[in-house]
Amino acid sequence: MGTMIQKSGAGYRHSPETLNLTRPELILSFHKAYIEAGADIVYTNTFGANAYKLEGSGCSVERVIGAGVANAKKACEGTDALVALDIGPVGMLIEPAGAMRFEEAYDYFKQQILAGADADLIVLETMTDLYELKAAVLAAKENSDKPILATMTFERGGRTFTGVSPAAAAVTLTGLGVDAVGVNCSLGPDELEPVIAEMTRYTDLPLVVKANAGLPDPNSNEYDILPDSFAQCVKALLPYGVKFAGGCCGTTPEYIAELRRVLENERFLPCKKSVDSTVCSASTAVEINGPRIIGERINPTGKKLFKQALVDNNIDYILTQALSQVSGGAEILDVNVGHPEIDEKKMMVRVLKAIQSVCDAPLQIDSTKPDVLEAGLRCYNGKPIVNSVNGEEKSLASVLPLVKKYGASVVGLTLDEGGIPKTAEGRFAIAKRIVERAEALGIDRRDVYIDCLTLTVSAEQDACRETLKALHRVKTELGCKTCLGVSNISFGLPNRELVNSTFLTMALEEGLDLPIINPNIPAMTGAVRAYRVLSGIDKNSADFIASYNDAPAAKPPAQAQENLSLDAAVYSGLKTEGASVTERLLESTDPMEIVNTLLIPALDRVGEDFEKGKIFLPQLIQSANTAQECFEVIKKHLAKAGGESVSKGKIILATVKGDIHDIGKNIVKVLLDNYGYTVVDLGRDVDPQLVVDTAVEQNITMIGLSALMTTTLKSMEDTIRLVRATPALQNPDGSSKCVVFVGGAVLTEDYAMKIGADYYCRDAKESVDTAKKVLG
Amino acid sequence: MITLQRLNRREALRYLGGAKVRRNEVMERMMDEAEQELFRAARPKYLYKIMDLPNGELTPGGDIKRHLDGCSRAVLLCATLGAEVDRLIRVAQIRDMAKAVVLDSMASVAIEQVCQQADEIIAAQLPGSYLTFRYSPGYGDYPVELQKTFLTLLDAPRKIGLSVSDSCLLIPAKSVTAIAGISDLPIPQKKRGCAVCNLRETCQYRRNGEHCGF
Repeated sequence: MGTMIQKSGAGYRHSPETLNLTRPELILSFHKAYIEAGADIVYTNTFGANAYKLEGSGCSVERVIGAGVANAKKACEGTDALVALDIGPVGMLIEPAGAMRFEEAYDYFKQQILAGADADLIVLETMTDLYELKAAVLAAKENSDKPILATMTFERGGRTFTGVSPAAAAVTLTGLGVDAVGVNCSLGPDELEPVIAEMTRYTDLPLVVKANAGLPDPNSNEYDILPDSFAQCVKALLPYGVKFAGGCCGTTPEYIAELRRVLENERFLPCKKSVDSTVCSASTAVEINGPRIIGERINPTGKKLFKQALVDNNIDYILTQALSQVSGGAEILDVNVGHPEIDEKKMMVRVLKAIQSVCDAPLQIDSTKPDVLEAGLRCYNGKPIVNSVNGEEKSLASVLPLVKKYGASVVGLTLDEGGIPKTAEGRFAIAKRIVERAEALGIDRRDVYIDCLTLTVSAEQDACRETLKALHRVKTELGCKTCLGVSNISFGLPNRELVNSTFLTMALEEGLDLPIINPNIPAMTGAVRAYRVLSGIDKNSADFIASYNDAPAAKPPAQAQENLSLDAAVYSGLKTEGASVTERLLESTDPMEIVNTLLIPALDRVGEDFEKGKIFLPQLIQSANTAQECFEVIKKHLAKAGGESVSKGKIILATVKGDIHDIGKNIVKVLLDNYGYTVVDLGRDVDPQLVVDTAVEQNITMIGLSALMTTTLKSMEDTIRLVRATPALQNPDGSSKCVVFVGGAVLTEDYAMKIGADYYCRDAKESVDTAKKVLG
Repeated sequence: MITLQRLNRREALRYLGGAKVRRNEVMERMMDEAEQELFRAARPKYLYKIMDLPNGELTPGGDIKRHLDGCSRAVLLCATLGAEVDRLIRVAQIRDMAKAVVLDSMASVAIEQVCQQADEIIAAQLPGSYLTFRYSPGYGDYPVELQKTFLTLLDAPRKIGLSVSDSCLLIPAKSVTAIAGISDLPIPQKKRGCAVCNLRETCQYRRNGEHCGF
C-alpha cells in the first residue's frame, strides 16, 4: 500500500492514512490491483492510524480506520479476499528505552482494534519492540475475537533494533496465543532464511513472510530484487512452515502476481517446534534442556536489608541483586517482593520493569496472590515462569487461567488442602492432578514445572528420600520439568553449604531441571556446572571451561595494604582495602568517630580536588563508592551492636516527569549516599504527585529534582508548585516544610529561584554541600 | 556502513572534568575498557536527505536562516549509536557509576565521530559543492521540537530505529539530528561558539575558562 501511494504521487496533508477519507477511490484501486494480482488478504491503509500519529491531522482514529476498512471491504466485494486491519508501531519508543508506558501503548492499540471491528483479521506488523507488540496482542485479544498475525522487523544481524531475537519473538507470541508469527519488512526474502529458520524451531504456529523487494538505497528508496527472484526466494522458505507470504516495501502488484504464480501449486508444510520447553526475555531464550539455575536472592524472606529496600522503594538495591546473581551463574531469576508494609502489586510491576531494563535473564514471577501474578504477567516482556500453583482447588482455578492467557510456564507445588503429603506417592498424585488441570486449559505439560518440595532433613530425615523419589517419578512418568528450592534441606544443621550442594547433586541425578539456589555460592553453581559436564549435557565441557578458565587464583591476603590509611584508600578509590581498613579501625575506634573524623574529611578532600580540577568526575565517584563500602561495614557493625543508625537524614531524588536522562541525578545519589544520607530515589519520568506522596508518607522534607531539557523544566516547576501547595507539607503558618534543590544542564540559578526552588546546585558536589547546610 | 574508529580521549576527558586535569593511569584504563565495550555494543547508523531551499518548515527563526545564507540546498542528517549503548550505560549505572560516566562521555565522543564520518561520505557525494558545519535543533533559536520533523522526513524510526519522545529527547540517547547547508561557492568559515549557545549561562567549560568544542 505504501509503495503504491508513493508511486502514485498522491498528495496528502498529514499522513498517508488520511487518503482513506480524501481519496477513497485511489485506495480502492490499489486494493483491487492487489486482489486482481492474486492476493487472498489485503491490508487496510491504516498502518499509522493511531491517536499519536494522527494528532493534528483533524481526523479521528475512528474515521480514518472506519474508512480504511470500508475501502478494503468494497474492493473485496464479489471475491474471496479477506480484509486485514493493519496496525503498525505507535511511533514512540516504549519503556524502558522510551517514554511511552506499556499501558499507554495498550490504549492506543485498543482504540485501533475497536475502530477496525469490521475487518476479517488483525495484522500487527513492522514491530521492533516485543514489549510494544505484546501490548498490541493483548489489546487485540481483549477487544476482539479475530485471528491475529504478528510480525516483526529484523536487521541483518538477526535482531530487531531493540535487540529482540527471533526465538524470543516466536516463544512469547506463541504463548500469547496469536495465530501466526513471522517477519515483515526488514530485508529481502533472500536474506530472511536465518530469521525464519530460528523462529520455526521455537513454535508450532504457521509463519508469515512479507519481505521487502530487497534493500532500498538509503536515500533514493529504489529496491534491488525483481519479481521473479523475489517469488523464488519466498518459495525456498516454504519448508520452514510458511503459510502466509506477501510483499512489503517496494513490492507492487507485479510482485504479488508473480508470487501467486510461483506458489500456486505449493502446499503449506506445517512444522513442529524442535526445542524443549523454553522461557525468555525479549532478547534471551533459555531452553530447559538440562539443569538451569534459578537465582533465589530477590526475596525479602529472612533478609532485613531487602525488606528495608522494599519499604524505602530502593529499586537499585534489588537491581544490584539481579545483576550479581547473573554474574554468579543464574540463568533465570525468581522475583518475590511480598512484604506486609508495601503494595505488593505495584512493587512487582515496578521491579519487573526495572530488572528487565538492565538484565537479559528470563524471570520467575513469585507471589501467593493471583492479582499480583496477573499484574506481573501483564507487564513482563517475554515468556516468564509463574511461581506458583498448587493442588488446592482455589489455586488451580485462579492461577492456571492466568498462565494460559499470558502464555507463561508455571511451577506446580505438590501440596493441597491436606498439606504436603508425606509420601512420594501422595506428591506424585497431586503433580498428576496439576498437570491434568493444566492440560485441560490447553497448557502444554512441558510448561508445567513440578516442585516436589524440599523438607528440612534435620526435622524429618526420611523426607529427603521421598522428595527425590517423587521427583524421579514426575520426571519419568509425567514427562514434566522439575524444579526444587534446595536450601531448605539443611536448616538447623552446621555446614549447610555442604549438605545443600550434596542434596543438589542427588536431585540433579534424579532429574532435577530447575534448582532454585543462591548462585553466588560457588559450590552450588559449581555443582550444577559439573553435573552438566559429567552427564554429557555440556558438550566438550565448553561452558564449564569458559566459566572457570579465566577465574583468577585466590588472592593472597592484602598484606601490603596493612599500613594503608582510610584517607588514602578513599582518595584512591580502593573499595576492598577501604572496607578492611574500616574493619580494623572498628576494633579500637568508635564508629561515629570514624565517620566524622576520617571518612567525611577524606571525602571532602576528594570533593575539593574535584572542584579545583585536580581529578576527574569518575575518580570522585570511585572515592564515593569506596566511602560507601566503609559505611556499609560501619552500618553492619552498628546493627550488630543494636546501636543508632548512621543516617544523617532522608532525601528524595527524582528526575522530573517527561525526562528520562537521569545520569546526573544518579551521580548526585551516589555522593549523597556516601556522605551518609538516606536517599529515596524515585527514578526518572516521575509524576509530581509521587514526589509529594512520598514526602508525606515518609515524612521527608528535603527534595532534589533534576531536569535535562528546556522542555522538561516545566515539569520541574509543576512539581515544586505541588510540593508548596500540599497542606501536609506546610508548617502551621502556611510556609513550606520542604527544602527543594534543583539541578540540570539547562538550569540557571535565576531560573531555579524563579520556579520556587530553595537551592540551585550546579554539580553533585554542591548538592552535598546543600545537604550539609540543610540536614547537617 | 560506518564503523567506530579510536575514540578521542581528550574530548572525553573534557566532558569528565576539564582538559586541565592531568591525565592519569586510572582514567586511561577506564577509557580503554569503555572504548572496547562501546565498540562491541554500538551499531552506528545514519540517514540523510538533500532538500531544496528555501524551506519554510525547516528554517524557522533567524539563526538557521543566517547559517544557511547563500545555500541553495541543505542536507538533513540523523545518526545514532543504537539502543544497545543506552542499555550498556544503564547497566553500568547500577553496577559501577564511575564506569557509567566514562561510558557516557565516550559514547558522546563516538556519536560525534559517526557524524564526522557521515559528513565526509555526504561531501564525497557532492563534488564541487561546499557544506556548512552541522547545525542541530536546539542550537540558538532553532527549535528543538524540529527533531520530530527531521526524523519523520528521514523515516528514521523505521529505517534506523531512531525516534524522539514527547519532551524532545532522542531515543536512543546517543543520537544526533542536524542540518547542513550546501553551497556552490566556498563558505566563509562561520564561527560556532558560546555566543549562539543556549547553555552559555550554565556551561561548566566556560566556568573553567575552557570551550566545549562547539
